[in-house]
Amino acid sequence: MNLEALVDCLSSASCAVTQVSTGLIVGMLLFLVTSGLSLIFGVLGIINFTHGAFYMMGAYFAFTAYALTGSFLASMAAGAIGVGLFGMAFERLVMSRVYGRDILMQLLVCYAMILILDDGVKILYGGEYRMMGMPDVFALPPVEIAGGFVPGYYLFMVGVALAAGLVLWLGINRTRLGKIVRALAINPQMVGALGINTTLLYAGVFGLGSLLAGLAGALAAPIRTLTPGMGVSILIESFIVTVIGGMGSIAGAFLAALLIGFTRAFGAIGFPLFVDGLMFALMALVLVVKPSGLLGREAA
Amino acid sequence: MLRVEHLSKSFGGVCASRDVSIDFPTGSLTAIIGPNGAGKTTFFNLISGHVRPDEGRVVFDGADIVGLSSLEVVRRGMARAFQVASLFPSLTVREALTAAVVSHRRGSARVFTRFPVAAAGRQADEIMDLMGLSPKAKVVSANLSHGDQKLLDIGLALAMDPKMLLLDEPTAGMGPEERWRMIGKVHSLWQVTGMTMLFIEHDMDIVFKIAQTIHVLKYGAVLAQGNPEEIRRNKDVIDAYLGTDHRLSETVGEA
Amino acid sequence: MRSGLLSPGLLRDVAFAIAALALLLVLPMAFPAPALRDFLIYFFAYGLLAMSLNLLVGLTGLVSFGHAAYFATGAYAFGLLMQTGRVSIPLAMLAAVGGTALVALVIGAICVRLKEIYFSFITLAFQMFIHSVIVTWVSLTGGDQGLRGGIPRPPILGLDLNDARVLYGACAAVFVLCILAMRQVSQSPFGYTLRMIRDNPARANFLGVDVTAMKLGIFVFAAAMASVGGLILALFVSGAYPEFAFWTTSGEAIFMIMLGGTTIFLGPLVGTLLLQTLNHFVTIYTEHHGLVLGTVILVIVLGLRRGLADVVYDWLQGRRTTRPNTPAGPTPEGAEPAPLPDGALKSRIV
Repeated sequence: MNLEALVDCLSSASCAVTQVSTGLIVGMLLFLVTSGLSLIFGVLGIINFTHGAFYMMGAYFAFTAYALTGSFLASMAAGAIGVGLFGMAFERLVMSRVYGRDILMQLLVCYAMILILDDGVKILYGGEYRMMGMPDVFALPPVEIAGGFVPGYYLFMVGVALAAGLVLWLGINRTRLGKIVRALAINPQMVGALGINTTLLYAGVFGLGSLLAGLAGALAAPIRTLTPGMGVSILIESFIVTVIGGMGSIAGAFLAALLIGFTRAFGAIGFPLFVDGLMFALMALVLVVKPSGLLGREAA
Repeated sequence: MLRVEHLSKSFGGVCASRDVSIDFPTGSLTAIIGPNGAGKTTFFNLISGHVRPDEGRVVFDGADIVGLSSLEVVRRGMARAFQVASLFPSLTVREALTAAVVSHRRGSARVFTRFPVAAAGRQADEIMDLMGLSPKAKVVSANLSHGDQKLLDIGLALAMDPKMLLLDEPTAGMGPEERWRMIGKVHSLWQVTGMTMLFIEHDMDIVFKIAQTIHVLKYGAVLAQGNPEEIRRNKDVIDAYLGTDHRLSETVGEA
Repeated sequence: MRSGLLSPGLLRDVAFAIAALALLLVLPMAFPAPALRDFLIYFFAYGLLAMSLNLLVGLTGLVSFGHAAYFATGAYAFGLLMQTGRVSIPLAMLAAVGGTALVALVIGAICVRLKEIYFSFITLAFQMFIHSVIVTWVSLTGGDQGLRGGIPRPPILGLDLNDARVLYGACAAVFVLCILAMRQVSQSPFGYTLRMIRDNPARANFLGVDVTAMKLGIFVFAAAMASVGGLILALFVSGAYPEFAFWTTSGEAIFMIMLGGTTIFLGPLVGTLLLQTLNHFVTIYTEHHGLVLGTVILVIVLGLRRGLADVVYDWLQGRRTTRPNTPAGPTPEGAEPAPLPDGALKSRIV
């Protein structure tokens, strides 16, 4: 516990700005992962435990694409779209077979998939850490904001995450397809009876959720070290975000993701050993005080 | 035994219960009838603590029970059976009833004895006798016939030694013959135990045959109340059930 | 029918337990290979993990994905206590089990209020929290490297646990005793109350069952039993490692009960045996353990669709009326849980 360091940091503009920007990008990555998780749960009623592994795949896909083409845009596309397609295939070939069965079976299938993906990455890339490095496009001097310095890439990341969140929100709340998807969440039989291909829709929603995880992975690739087990920690954090924000609420996920991001960023200075504890304490508090989450409706 | 006063409840603007005041004397057998969507099941949910009313009092056995959880309401002696039999699919009839009796005797947390506990088992056997389920004692609940499932559902409520029993459509989903058998059971149960009983029913013949008092609900409010004879002649009730068209055809017929 | 502690059921179970213990004690004498003894001690440890998890999954319908947390808590608490050099083994065992129960009480109080899948992922989250505590608190736990320095084995009642045969015998006795305790719980009124909760929690509540308290009770008991498995392992390998608390350990435990089936009381032990044998051979032939195990799970879950033991059980029951073999699955028609209040649509919102 080092509260002095925390106070010092908060009173120095450069430190505060650095930590805020760190908190923001952590929060944005979490927001992308969580909104995908939440979307899949909201429509299909299952928790995709492989979501963290999809994030990992996004990062590795981006890493490979960047190594091959040297284009950052290509790396992002590979991460997001590659994982999106993989997610669709996974839903069709595996997940769809355990719908309506024991939760036990759903858990097992996801567990198996994580084992396979983690090991697959180990076989293809080796078990050690990998670095993608900052793409040339962003080899710029950091931007000065209020006396602190923020890497240009951070601003880009925040922009992409916000845009993705906005598109998702508009897509669900303002389009015809979004309306169908919302109806699917409530009454799939009725949607099917209206002549809409629900099978395709389920796969599409699962793919879209996976795509968000892949996008987060691709965005994280330049600033994170890549390891085969990197998916698990973000999965757990996105669970915490889901609980705090409220299951199924995109706005709640956004709020909670930022909260966790800042907790991580400032906690790392104030009480470096107790950051995880703090996140869990926050989650426990929300569960006790408002079990449905900050912005969630009735708990599922 | 039970008195409700000015009970009101709305779900998002839809008024499911509107200023309902009814008195159920000890030992009475009362029917609640009304067209679909009249708020009969909501009424049950309100008095059994499943749903909290917006306004009004529910006085059971001398105490206001509004705000108590359904668990506390059960422990005070008001048990209910469900419209769709709500059972424990993997337990046998005897196991389910014994477990229910054990629960009522606050023995659910015992770990040092073996199930079934003898005393609870005896009471379960009595309930099986009463409901005519003894031959099915060893049948798994999920494999029972529809009628037997409904009987077991009532049996589970009886395991609570209730002072008052609420039956939500005991004859739902049954053929005509089965209905009469079921209602015969209910009637004899009332005669044997002397419990205060309240039931929801669709079938008018059944209601008029066995109920002492009838309350008619429509759009969440009490439309009429009285004994079967009074209800049978009540114009509002006839309208509610058969629509005004019916009266038209009646007048045409008379003309 | 007689009841109480001397009921025929209990006497039969005790007789069975004594016979099983005798068999376990004779086995290494008949086949005196140390490898068999080691294999069996691992089997005791993971067997207790799987059996205790099944009290939650099979008996109560609570699918915990974080059960290994208590396995690890037991192992670490026991190891740390023994390393102080001031406690005897039985006392350290009791303290480790009690301490784990306390941890489970706090975590369980939060988790058991949650429904189904929510419960699964919060238990997983708390498990990873315990894992992160173990990894971060290096000064106490040794972090990544695990609890080092060995766990001393002072003699109990003149028995020298450093003798591999004595150690094996002690572990076997503890194992059988725990299985017997779990059997008693599952056959007690409490056990049947849990079956009610598994089948239909809403109705159980209407019958006066305090569902939350009952769930918490079994959660704590199952955690305590898992901690015994953990401390057996810690005693045997003379250390404790963060992998005990890693999510994959919980995943394996879930696979064990799926393999063995949730219907039969001892099913999870069959699963433990199968998975352990599989692991044994996989690690000999390949380093890609995850890939192989993952594929095997997919094939079994998607191909066979249920546990091997369930298949055998159904085959044996053949013409007799069977009980539904997936208690946690959708309830059969006409036996749905209590109806919702009028007009309440259980909707999921995007």
